[in-house]
Amino acid sequence: MGTVILILHGLVTVALLGAITHQTLATCAPARAKPYSFFDRFRAVRGAGFTNAIVVLYVISWLLGAVVYLYFKVDVQPSLERDHHWHALGFFDLKEDFTAIGLGVLPAYWSCWHQPVDGRSYQLRTALTLLLAFIVWWAFLVGHVLNNIGGFGS
Amino acid sequence: MFNSMFRRFAFAYGAAFALFYALAHARGLALFTVYPAQGIVLLGLHRSRDVADPVLDFLAPEMYWYGWTASAAVGALVVGIVAALLPARLSPFWVWCAWVVPPMAMIACAYLTIPWFRL
Ligand code: HEM
Repeated sequence: MGTVILILHGLVTVALLGAITHQTLATCAPARAKPYSFFDRFRAVRGAGFTNAIVVLYVISWLLGAVVYLYFKVDVQPSLERDHHWHALGFFDLKEDFTAIGLGVLPAYWSCWHQPVDGRSYQLRTALTLLLAFIVWWAFLVGHVLNNIGGFGS
Repeated sequence: MFNSMFRRFAFAYGAAFALFYALAHARGLALFTVYPAQGIVLLGLHRSRDVADPVLDFLAPEMYWYGWTASAAVGALVVGIVAALLPARLSPFWVWCAWVVPPMAMIACAYLTIPWFRL
């Protein structure tokens, strides 16, 4: 069961990573001229259209992660400790903390993207989008690395 | 009117959640403790090594993360509601908090994680 939930967790986070990366690039480095390259087209999207999907995907990823964590604590963490993977466990600790803080920031992030933008809220919207993107990338990379070291199914 | 109240709630909630989460982590303020191996949830913070030999700790690993998150969510909800009820002219303050507090809380959590990197 733990493995099934982990695979679902991994799949949902792929969609989340794509959506937040599109939105972040569209916000921070919008394409100006007619997009020609892949990178130009990637960032030429309308950022606001991703907001609801990002909130929903984040909450689902978070909930699935929270369930997988119960299995991880019992089945995986003891062997990582036995093999002295302290740094990996430290990075995972940060994943726990960052993803929780990200969950708390979601209502503010949502609200920033659904209001008419003045100067201050534009800056806050960019800042919160960047913060969420950092959290999602961190969680994604740490989750993968930990799974590769010898997580579920090994 | 409702929009502006929700905005104040959301900004205050985000900042307070981050602050309370870092505090809960630093001070061990877990609303409950989860024992996944036994499938038990106990109110408040419990350490199995306080009641059993530390050598047996691995039999009943405890998890505080759920409890810290719940503590932060409850605290932030109260702050968010108060912020929504306070006058709209305080909005810039909540915007400022939503800017500054979450990154600071993440830095504080990184600081709390340093022991893992000294092992
Ligand atoms: C919301 C953002 C999150 C993202 C983007 C994310 C991403 C990932 C990814 C990509 C994996 C690897 C999946 C695989 O290789 O099959 C993973 C594994 C994992 N994640 Fe998450 N995750 C998130 C949130 C969470 C949360 C909140 C928790 C709970 C604390 C969590 C706990 C775990 C665990 C326990 C694993 C398995 C590690 C192992 O196999 O050793 N994740 N995550």
